[in-house]
Amino acid sequence: MNKRIIAAFGTVILGAAVIAGIGTYVASAKNDSRVLAATAAGTMDTPQGTLPHYTLAISTYPDSMAGSHGKDGGAHPGYVTYGPVTNFEVPAHSAITITVTNYDSGESLNNDYFRVVRGTVGGTATLNGEVIRSIPTDKVGHTFTVHGMANENSELFFSVPLKAVPEENMPEEGYTKKPNVTTFTVITGNAGEYVWNCEYPCGDGTIAKFGAVMSTMGYMSGHFNVVNS
Amino acid sequence: MSLDTEKTPQWWKKKDVKQTFVIWVILTPIIGYVGSTVQIRSMGAPASETMASVINLMGLFTWVAAPVAALVGAMCLTTLLTKSHYGDNPPHEAENEIRNSPRANAIWVSISALLCLFALVVGLIVLQKDAGALTDKAAMNINVTGQQWVWNYDYENGARSSVLYLPVNKPVVFHVTSKDVKHSFWVVQMGIKIDANPGYVTETAVTPNKIGVFDIRCAELCGLLHAYMQNKVHVVSQADYDAWVKTNATTEAAA
Amino acid sequence: MTTTMDRPASAPGQSRRSKPLIERLNIFTALALGAISALVVWQLALHFLPQLPDGQQYFNREDKITLLSMVAWFIGFMTGIGALIGPFRWLMGKDLSHDENMFYAGKDLGVKRYFRYTTDHKVVGIQYLVMTMLIFFIGGTLAMLIRTNLGHPQGGWIHPQAYNSIVGTHGIIMIVGTIIMVTGPFGNFIMPIMIGARDMAFPRLNALSFWLIVAAAVPLIWGQFIGGITTGWTAYNPLASQAPLGMDGYIMFICIFAISTMVAGANITTTVIRMRAKGMTWNRTPIFIYGTVASVALALPAFPVFFLSQIMSAMDRALGTSFYDTTHGGSGWLYENLFWIMGHPEVYVILIPAVAALMEMAPVFARNPLFSFNIAVLGIAGISGLSVLVWAHHMYMAGWAPLLNAPFMLTTELISIPTGMLFLVLVGTLWRGRLWVTMPMASIFALLWNFMIGGITGIYLSDVPADAFLHGSMYVTAHFHYTLMGAGLTGALASLVYWFPKMTGRMFDKKLSWISFWMVQIGFNVAFMGMFLVGLAGQPRRVETYAKMFSRGNLITTIGAYVIMAGMLVLLHGVISSWRHGVKAPMNPWQAKTLEWSVANPIPLENFDVLPVVTADAYGYGKAKS
Repeated sequence: MNKRIIAAFGTVILGAAVIAGIGTYVASAKNDSRVLAATAAGTMDTPQGTLPHYTLAISTYPDSMAGSHGKDGGAHPGYVTYGPVTNFEVPAHSAITITVTNYDSGESLNNDYFRVVRGTVGGTATLNGEVIRSIPTDKVGHTFTVHGMANENSELFFSVPLKAVPEENMPEEGYTKKPNVTTFTVITGNAGEYVWNCEYPCGDGTIAKFGAVMSTMGYMSGHFNVVNS
Repeated sequence: MSLDTEKTPQWWKKKDVKQTFVIWVILTPIIGYVGSTVQIRSMGAPASETMASVINLMGLFTWVAAPVAALVGAMCLTTLLTKSHYGDNPPHEAENEIRNSPRANAIWVSISALLCLFALVVGLIVLQKDAGALTDKAAMNINVTGQQWVWNYDYENGARSSVLYLPVNKPVVFHVTSKDVKHSFWVVQMGIKIDANPGYVTETAVTPNKIGVFDIRCAELCGLLHAYMQNKVHVVSQADYDAWVKTNATTEAAA
Repeated sequence: MTTTMDRPASAPGQSRRSKPLIERLNIFTALALGAISALVVWQLALHFLPQLPDGQQYFNREDKITLLSMVAWFIGFMTGIGALIGPFRWLMGKDLSHDENMFYAGKDLGVKRYFRYTTDHKVVGIQYLVMTMLIFFIGGTLAMLIRTNLGHPQGGWIHPQAYNSIVGTHGIIMIVGTIIMVTGPFGNFIMPIMIGARDMAFPRLNALSFWLIVAAAVPLIWGQFIGGITTGWTAYNPLASQAPLGMDGYIMFICIFAISTMVAGANITTTVIRMRAKGMTWNRTPIFIYGTVASVALALPAFPVFFLSQIMSAMDRALGTSFYDTTHGGSGWLYENLFWIMGHPEVYVILIPAVAALMEMAPVFARNPLFSFNIAVLGIAGISGLSVLVWAHHMYMAGWAPLLNAPFMLTTELISIPTGMLFLVLVGTLWRGRLWVTMPMASIFALLWNFMIGGITGIYLSDVPADAFLHGSMYVTAHFHYTLMGAGLTGALASLVYWFPKMTGRMFDKKLSWISFWMVQIGFNVAFMGMFLVGLAGQPRRVETYAKMFSRGNLITTIGAYVIMAGMLVLLHGVISSWRHGVKAPMNPWQAKTLEWSVANPIPLENFDVLPVVTADAYGYGKAKS
């Protein structure tokens, strides 16, 4: 083969390697790549029959000192965050009981659609042991809202409002001793890739309060993957 | 090709013109058929009259554009098939100098003007129909709210949902707005789309004509999870719809 | 000319003498001064800008700090490169001496002149060429990342935020790359020689326009590390106001680039109007000149609007104004209008010079006169004129003014008439020509093919009801890649091969030009045909992941994109190897008749000893001479 063509081929390899290197670098820059899998907990009787039962425990913190951002709070110590991680993995065709412990306060929702518990079993959740269907708009601290793409997989949508900790109970240091614990159960369909995010606008100082922490993966949003077990 | 200057044949009798004509006749249906079939197949089955007319429009435009594309293609092919010269030095100059042809210019410009007019008129007719649907008094109204990164829908009787439900064969007008940034409400198989703007309400209308589950996607980059701002629309029979919307409204009132 | 009474030019043997300031400045002093200024201002702003009450106006202070630092970088860089020396001297009432001007023109500086504020149009042309290649390398790398991420329906190889930023950066950087790809290298290097001029009308502005782009590039890269440009290249508000600090990099980049484009536009327009050789009437002016002028003249009204839109965006972010914030009396539609008033002329800024360059090459490689010169000029003028009247076709679905949809549909579809004229000219020139099969020749056919597809799909998109389905889908992405890349870039690559002998003195390696041509064209058509299909099936643009039903089309696109990458790398190799040790080029390797081929290789500093006199147009090919 022609020497020039071999040299050109070398350039192609070299160039591709450079591009692959940049790609690897970019792909590795993730705020939170860890995944929390749901824990098996026997079976559960649901309106859709007896299904395998799994549980998932999540918390919401007023800053990034807890959660998956390290001891110093990572790049944005002041950002509110979910924890312990922000990517979850649950089995398909199962009942998943999710417990969210909210340590954060709140102000007001901008869309009262999200004050209602939606898409859970029975359309209810349990807040500190009490069954609820909704929370007043001005008492919502965050929401845990899962949604996904319009594709061949079954739809999965659920949204649960998390009650805010009253401002007077928020300590100067550390986290409140009286967090609000919300528990609810959802039934998953086919395997698929979903995401969750908080629909409570908590990106202060940005348009519609949806910038900053709300638009950064690994804080108030993450993946929620349904996988075949 | 030899050009006999003694008795120049009329232009349409020249060999390359004939060749071009033959290629043009062959290419036109191929381009028209392949172009329109591939596009129509990709668009899938329509779920509304609006989408059906979009599909027809694309097919029609492809067929109308086919002769033009085929003519350019035929002339290129004829040129490529003859008199090519390879090498590092330039070939001899071309045999004949055509600097201009007022007739060709006039024909070309007139035809493109006519095609342009045709496209405009066809577009306007369909546009008129789509715009008329917005003022349909018999239509039901649904408020669509886009928020980063989910849609939610408010129905006339107080029902609310994040998966859209529509009765079949009933005109519906969507009043679309946004809580934060721009989104675009796209009901794919029904061929309608309108941007959701914060602070304004925009409208679009459609009559679904097929029972089934179809896709709704956000078509305007709206931030982090734009790719996931999608959901389904369930088109159901009027009876099913009435039942659903009633139950939903009751639940909503209780919440 | 080499010595003066008081200031000897720096020549070997005189290095002991202290060099005057203008001889010390180069890209390194510029980078250093820019970086120092930015750091100093950053620290000052950090300490002295008042803190805002907790939880309020979170971004404003950081935005102020970022923007101030970027402005400081800009001023520092431009001072460091020496852009202010001319204006400063002028303020002091003494202009540069002849020798200083000669120094500025890069006389006897060798390779060093490429790293300085050099005014010689040939140096600026080469600088632009290298800059364009660099931009395409970065933009292409980002494209590869996008395509790799989309190779599989499950997203997440790249983080969604980084992905959005990559999409936006790829978009804006490629737009800028394609804007300068023809008028930058060839408009600066070739155009003045083609019209028989010794340099541009304003050589210092010429250098300014280039170094502004370098100054602009840094904020864009900077922005990647402070949150990225997560809004797509359009940077629609209010999303842009909500976006992280990286947006400030975009804003600075656009503002500086807009100045560069305006400066270059004024310069090129003036040069062509005032400095054509004796006898070069408008009828004898080559069509490439028309294309270049149309392109930069279109940029003249377009880019001030872009500049303004970004200034307002910056004020919304940093100063608490609300031009685009609906909740405080602004309007996102205002931004969309301003953006597309720039945005639609801008696509023709990209396209026209590329097509005009191929129209320039068509007669050379068909050995046939340009068919219907007047129609060619009319087509270019028609596109330019109409292109400022079509912007709202990007906003059919915005809900802004539904009643205006029909008139904008009319103007948009009217553009197909002058565009058709360009097809007629190209096909007419090839018709009965004697084809000389070279890569530029093949590019003409490639352009006709790609631009035909791009043009026809453009007609579907111009139709409002069809656009209701297609708008915001991958179909649009495929369409504009067919026009800007399939037509535009094809023309630019052909120009590179065609003018390479004149610019470097060496022939472009023929074999490599062919390999790269076929790889790029085949890869391109595979890639974007696949994208048309997924667009028609309903895949939205700018998504990081997609439903499984789109996976086949996306895989096709990704494979095609890899082929393009390989083809472009072959081209890069061709440029480097041919430049270093290619075959020495004769004065006029293509036997073309435009003036640039009448000057020797290498071209002397002021091009012509004796300015040429033009007696006929450059298209006197064919046996039957009149």
